[in-house]
Amino acid sequence: MLMGVIGLVGLFQVLVSPKMLSSLFRGNVAGDTLIGTMAGAAASGNPVVSYLLGGELLKQGISLYAVSAFILSWVTLGFVHLPLEAEVLGFRLTLYRNILAFIFAMLIAALIPITLQALT
Amino acid sequence: MSKKEKPVSLRGKFFALTVCAIYAILFFFDRQMALLAIQKSANVLFQVLPILAVVILFTAFLNYILKPKQIARHLGEDSGIKGWFVALFAGVISHGPMYAWYPLIEDLRSHGLKDRLVVVFFYARAIKLPLLPLMIDYFGLNFTIILSCYILLGALFQGWIIELLEQKGIRP
Repeated sequence: MLMGVIGLVGLFQVLVSPKMLSSLFRGNVAGDTLIGTMAGAAASGNPVVSYLLGGELLKQGISLYAVSAFILSWVTLGFVHLPLEAEVLGFRLTLYRNILAFIFAMLIAALIPITLQALT
Repeated sequence: MSKKEKPVSLRGKFFALTVCAIYAILFFFDRQMALLAIQKSANVLFQVLPILAVVILFTAFLNYILKPKQIARHLGEDSGIKGWFVALFAGVISHGPMYAWYPLIEDLRSHGLKDRLVVVFFYARAIKLPLLPLMIDYFGLNFTIILSCYILLGALFQGWIIELLEQKGIRP
């Protein structure tokens, strides 16, 4: 199972390029936050890549909401290893955990810019 | 074999075969991309192997020094507030990809680790201690501190929601 997941990670790293991910964003804050969460969950690899990509997205004018959601879902969600997670944790706990992680990625992404603004 | 256990030989067989089939199809249509994917997978495997070795050794060590009753006391039903903090701390200091930790979690669950603490552990892993300086460099100190605080709070909230579901009889 683990070998299958690793094989899938390799496939995703080749098929889902950083350029492809950054092209998904449209400039709409709410939509981009959702896209950021989905893109982070679909991507795989070292979190460093998400920081580099997130930094580039910010430079391109993508909102901090979307970038926060993207880097958070990169490490808390993972479509690639869902089958293995369901095998180990059971289907229902995997479902609950991922739904919660998805909601909290969006929620925290929404709270970060507001908190930053309130502090400055 | 206990009721919950599945034969090792059958675990993930279908999934592994599906991944092999995807590679075969990709190889047929784009040989270069398939070879690149195999190379990337090999890189990931070499990155994960040392972490996996540590996790397996750590699991064996825990099994050796801790009796199931002790694990249940620290991370089980009666672990109380200590269990929450152990899960949070373990999540923050754990390293490597999420799937490298599945064997340990599976083992601890069979010894009484509660589902709410599993959820806390996995969400707290979003804080990557060795990468914090890089995050500060890219996004600033304030962003990093706020994100880290929200991750810790989010982890606890999610664990609490799972606990509520358990109390309402909706077992995850």
